[in-house]
Amino acid sequence: MSSHLFSRLEESIKNRKDTFLLTITDYPDEKLIGAKALLWPGGDFCTEASLLPLDVRDLITVHCNKLVTKKRSGTVRFMWKECLVECFAEYFPSPLHLIVAGAGHVCEPVAEMGRMLGFFVTVIDDRKEYANRERFPNADEVVCQSYLEYFRHVDISEKSYILLLTRGHKYDVISLNELLKRDCQAGYIGMIGSRRRISGVFEELQEDFRDESFENLYTPVGLDIGSETPAEIAVSIMAEILKVKNQKSGDSLSSQIKKFAKMGFHEGAGKWTKCSL
Amino acid sequence: MDQMQLIKRTLDIRKGGEKAALATIIRTKGSTPRKTGSRMIVFPCGRIEGTIGGGCGEAEVIEKAFQVIQTNTPTQKRVDLTKGLFYEDGGICGGIMDVFIEPI
Repeated sequence: MSSHLFSRLEESIKNRKDTFLLTITDYPDEKLIGAKALLWPGGDFCTEASLLPLDVRDLITVHCNKLVTKKRSGTVRFMWKECLVECFAEYFPSPLHLIVAGAGHVCEPVAEMGRMLGFFVTVIDDRKEYANRERFPNADEVVCQSYLEYFRHVDISEKSYILLLTRGHKYDVISLNELLKRDCQAGYIGMIGSRRRISGVFEELQEDFRDESFENLYTPVGLDIGSETPAEIAVSIMAEILKVKNQKSGDSLSSQIKKFAKMGFHEGAGKWTKCSL
Repeated sequence: MDQMQLIKRTLDIRKGGEKAALATIIRTKGSTPRKTGSRMIVFPCGRIEGTIGGGCGEAEVIEKAFQVIQTNTPTQKRVDLTKGLFYEDGGICGGIMDVFIEPI
């Protein structure tokens, strides 16, 4: 792949745009094999050389349409000049956006782990001494702004994962107020807090919103693994976020295996459809 | 985003003038250890970066990659993991995958 095409791909992902990387993987003329291009869901096309004639590009775009709609990688085959072309279209989804509101001590390991897990991480706090690059050298974005301003204007989609780790329940109320009245709801909103703090927040919000508004709200945050330190709490929170993202139970994997083992290994083995189980 | 990192590595390798091949899983059927889009870089000395699942299947691809480096011509290799549940090296996945191998 040329460095130009790679930087286009990198830039596209950084701007949180879904992108497809195309590679010609089979064709009688060897010069064409390995040729690469980028395709965006809107139909924009970018190729590294004049290798791909216009009519092939059009054919590729048409044939990849199904994969683009389904948002998945795959290979397509079609005829061009009476020869079979095979093209591998690889889906590079725009990364999920993790917004951590409240740059206190739990935020630090959360931001680090978020990066490790491939999220685009934004840290937001209204205090300069907390929201700064020295504290969060690896976050993708560090924003020092009021919670109200930030949550009023930030792009929200099902790819947004929001954590409210603010220093007081009034900031949670301000943030949730902005988030819940949006047309487009976030995939996950987690709010840290004691039972007392949570009931305080709900009391102030429940009059303004219907019960369905709280469907994606997880509070208190995290899975029940007995976390106490900031790092432990971060593991618990990020595990819950993965559970929601991957739509899984969050149970121990061994509990499933035990069930199969009781049936006898051979019988059970046939039912494992994935190696990763 | 480790796929991105491997692609980035291929750019660095090419810049350094080193010869190598990039193997990418482009199609899978049934149960395979890694999914479509998984990548592996193979160097002429046999060193690899990344993985397409390990075991005999990966070894076959590495062999083929040496050819690709020598001939400077891309090719495809089909890896068949259906040969039996208790394959000696643990290849018990039971699927088939097609791997595209291209010179870097």
